[in-house]
Amino acid sequence: MAAQTDTIVALSTPPGRSGIGVIRISGPDSLHILRTLVSAESYNPTPNLMRLKSLIDPNSAETLDEALVCFFKAPHSFNGEDVAELHCHGSPVLLRTIIDLILKLGARLADPGEFSLRAVTNGRLKLTEAEAIRDLIDAQTDTALRQATRQLKGEISNRLRPAKENLLETIVRLESSLEFVEDDLPAVQHQATIDSLLGLARDLSRLRSTFAAGKLLHDGIRVAFVGRPNVGKSSLFNSLVGHERAIVTEIPGTTRDTLTESIAVSGVPVLLIDTAGIRNSSDEIESIGVARARREAADADLLIVVVDGSEYLREEDQLVLAEVSDIRHIVALNKSDLPTFSTATFDGRVGADPNCSAVMSVSAKSEAGLESLRAAILEPFANGSAHSEGLLITNARHHDLLVRSIEAIASSAQLLEDFASEEIVLVGLHSALRYLGEITGETTTEEILGQIFSTFCIGK
Amino acid sequence: MIFDEFFDVIVIGGGHAGCEAASASARLGANTALLTLNLDLIGQMSCNPAIGGIGKGHLVREIDALGGIMGRVIDRTGIQFRLLNRSRGPAVRAPRAQADRTLYRIEMRRTLEGTPNLCLRQGLVTSLLMEGGRVLGVELQDARRMGAKAVVVATGTFLNGRIHTGRQTYEGGRAGEPASVEFAEALKRLGLRVGRLKTGTPPRLDGRTIDWEAFEPQPPDERAVPFSFSTDHIRQQQLNCHLAYTNESVHAAIRANLHESPLYSGKITSIGPRYCPSIEDKVVKFPEKTRHQLFIEPEGYATNEVYLNGFSTSLPAQLQQELVSLIPGFERTQIIRPGYAIEYDFVDPKELSPFLETARLKGLFLAGQINGTTGYEEAACQGLLAGINAALGSLGRPLFRLNRRGSYIGVLVDDLITHGVDEPYRMFTSRSEYRLALRHDNADERLEPYGRELGLVGDSEWERFNQRRARLARASALLKECRLRRSDERYSICRELTGQELGDSLTLAELALRPRIDAELVMSLMPSSASSEFSIGDLETALADHLYAGYLGSQTAGLRRLNQHDALNIPQGFSFRTVGSLSHEIVERLERARPESFGQARQIPGMTPAALSTLLVHLTGSQSISGASQR
Ligand SMILES: Nc1nc2c(ncn2[C@@H]2O[C@H](COP(=O)(O)OP(=O)(O)OP(=O)(O)O)[C@@H](O)[C@H]2O)c(=O)[nH]1
Ligand SMILES: [Mg+2]
Repeated sequence: MAAQTDTIVALSTPPGRSGIGVIRISGPDSLHILRTLVSAESYNPTPNLMRLKSLIDPNSAETLDEALVCFFKAPHSFNGEDVAELHCHGSPVLLRTIIDLILKLGARLADPGEFSLRAVTNGRLKLTEAEAIRDLIDAQTDTALRQATRQLKGEISNRLRPAKENLLETIVRLESSLEFVEDDLPAVQHQATIDSLLGLARDLSRLRSTFAAGKLLHDGIRVAFVGRPNVGKSSLFNSLVGHERAIVTEIPGTTRDTLTESIAVSGVPVLLIDTAGIRNSSDEIESIGVARARREAADADLLIVVVDGSEYLREEDQLVLAEVSDIRHIVALNKSDLPTFSTATFDGRVGADPNCSAVMSVSAKSEAGLESLRAAILEPFANGSAHSEGLLITNARHHDLLVRSIEAIASSAQLLEDFASEEIVLVGLHSALRYLGEITGETTTEEILGQIFSTFCIGK
Repeated sequence: MIFDEFFDVIVIGGGHAGCEAASASARLGANTALLTLNLDLIGQMSCNPAIGGIGKGHLVREIDALGGIMGRVIDRTGIQFRLLNRSRGPAVRAPRAQADRTLYRIEMRRTLEGTPNLCLRQGLVTSLLMEGGRVLGVELQDARRMGAKAVVVATGTFLNGRIHTGRQTYEGGRAGEPASVEFAEALKRLGLRVGRLKTGTPPRLDGRTIDWEAFEPQPPDERAVPFSFSTDHIRQQQLNCHLAYTNESVHAAIRANLHESPLYSGKITSIGPRYCPSIEDKVVKFPEKTRHQLFIEPEGYATNEVYLNGFSTSLPAQLQQELVSLIPGFERTQIIRPGYAIEYDFVDPKELSPFLETARLKGLFLAGQINGTTGYEEAACQGLLAGINAALGSLGRPLFRLNRRGSYIGVLVDDLITHGVDEPYRMFTSRSEYRLALRHDNADERLEPYGRELGLVGDSEWERFNQRRARLARASALLKECRLRRSDERYSICRELTGQELGDSLTLAELALRPRIDAELVMSLMPSSASSEFSIGDLETALADHLYAGYLGSQTAGLRRLNQHDALNIPQGFSFRTVGSLSHEIVERLERARPESFGQARQIPGMTPAALSTLLVHLTGSQSISGASQR
């Protein structure tokens, strides 16, 4: 068998937080994709040698990351195919962006264990070694993860069902018009079919965008506390963490270096980051801390801007609020236990600032409002009920499959516009159905035929 | 064991499967006998007198390309040819023809009688002779014993056939013919899993009693497209069919008498084909339809008998007469033969190998309706494949199989042996994942080389094939060479026709991708010498190749991720228990289905992704990668 394979991509370091994330691409297009990423068509990497390269988004020409890249030429790679590895910085958002880009360049997301399966296929791995992989695959599907996956599958299936039925109905109409010319069936409505397909593509696109958020939930949400000194960032941090992790004093500028601690909010991993209070400081150490705080803020998925609600709004507060205006954030008005506390300055902010999802009164001291604060952390990502354990693996695959089905449906609609014959239009629609089927379960030809016979009276 | 006669191959049954099987086997050099209940009914069309249609017409073209006989016989005996779906793309067009039922039978018998190595024998088979898991021959009702190295069973609806009209039921293989009861029991004793299916036929009418003016004629094509690649022209006279419709009073009468129908009184419990429902079913399941379309089809040149297609029924004969008379134009019409339903045994085709040999008994092949299919074409292609393999096996040659990618026959066999059947299986183009590649007009390109290699395609057909190939190459070269320029006088006509801008100049190949451009127009834009180099039919094929070239890729892209490993062989006798860490349930499923390839395993209901990964790892690890032997 000529191993005619496509190109696959996956994150090969464990999902979640880590110093670096290794993205692995395998298959015939690996080199081409690598060249596009480093923006040099003629780039000829020396095999097996690590090089520092800028990864560039070809669409925006924006530099995404400085990464160590390494190319392994077939058959001298671990699985016998052309393989490219990108060792990137560990931010999940960044990794996701790069993987998305690679998917757009024609790769597809690898199935669990697929890299190693290819190794077996290409005679690179012995059966005994492969048994270990099988165990891995089994482990993945056998444990709690399976439970979660199954739940998730049910949930997504439910959400996809109307779309899939809609698609099936169009397929059934087109198929019957082809297969049963001799039966007197109602004519296929050309424009109505196009409209229905376009509507379907839009509908699926909406679903797709909710999954993108869901994926973030699995990777963990990176939440940084920011604010001017002494507003109570470290105190809130400690309250959410549940113990005295950060040093708290009444001296402004207590926190210098960033501190991280992970907690779980409704089962979703949340990485909390305490940062130095932002102000212009002459203290060299504090200045470095402030610079770090700013970097963390830029890299976070969500900021909690802490303001001392018992005091008037200072210039330093304004400075911080201005800096975060283009990042998703929550404003926590702290020290609600104090008599001088007031929310007046912030009334109406939520509606006015699209990136501000909530303004809440809290007190690190009395612990008032902490529950609401926890809920508010998930709120921008939750999109209804999308958060669940095990979202990542399945969800990344789902995302990939949804993107593919949307593309297939849209191109079929275009073919219909161009008056292509039904059998050509149907190629894309069947592909789309198959992609959706990989999420919700396959629709067999028998079922399609069954639907035809129950919709139309066929039979000469 | 002492035999009265000995053959390499015995074919039981003289229907469409049996005829192809016997012909192929004999022509491959195996000394072959065709055993049938009644030699006068060889090649009988027991249901409607027509061959082809969408999906089915594709099968006939494939049979022909492989060297089968159905296409030639219908080309000589068809009385109305039509190419269906002319307005659609070439992949879903297919020929269909009404046959003169009697002439078809005569021509089929003449063809078989003219085949060297083939003996016709009349007799009723009552049991199979076997020894040590191998078939040895058959025993007949009259105690004759016939030996053979391989036996093809193609007994159609005759196994335990039971005919129903109204409340009457009786044993029968077809109206007026006995059922095969003992042999059915013999097959069951072998341990083959047997199920029951149902099918039906409509009444036949006396054409002299029809008011023909009342019905809309459906004329034949002006340019008849033959089934066989070796037929140039259809010479015989072509006839009209007519369209008729039922009406509310027919429906009301059916509803009032449903209790008389064995389908609704509970007498018949087995499943019939959903795409060929009885008129009772149509009326009950689609109450909102005020009329159902019927076709009045001639049965031949020399008979008044006509076939009322679409009116299949098992209501009592007298009631059928009353119902028919309720249709304007049929007021005086008399039924010659009433319609009926028939229930019969079939063998679970999951028992079969891709060569159509049973797993239980070596040398025993099954083909046609016995495998749960319906339709002459479906039967014939299985007969061809079974006959080929019975002969190859008896001659000690390697067996022959077809895969899903290259033919509808491959799709049919794979569907049968992988999924089995719950209702009579009929071919539809949507059953193929590779529909765009499987055209009726490129069946020769796809399959004739195999037919030649096997030895079924003769020198003159092979010569024709190579000539056609050369003509197609020429046509396709001209399509890319010739350009339509703005200055050409036909330019504006083309632009208007397509409703699209065409630029300063474009090749005819590019032009042909635009809407409403047909082969005739393209031919007229070519140099005048072109029409002497190739025919319109050739040009249509060249255009179709060109039209789909761009889409074949996207068709496979969607499938590839699923099918990448499908061709991977599972060796015969592979023990799924040795794979380890497969659940009991999965092992059982695999053992029951006996998949021959990873692709078949993948499609077994209830296989989990984890089980498939495990199996794949095991297969790829334990056998050489070149193990995939699909052609
Ligand atoms: N009354 C009251 N005091 C609080 C509350 N939260 C924090 N404080 C006090 O405010 C002071 C500063 O608290 P921190 O948590 O160190 O403030 P910070 O924002 O981390 O300050 P820097 O690290 O210096 O930027 C401490 O004296 C805390 O006890 C609160 O909810 N209520
Ligand atoms: Mg602090």
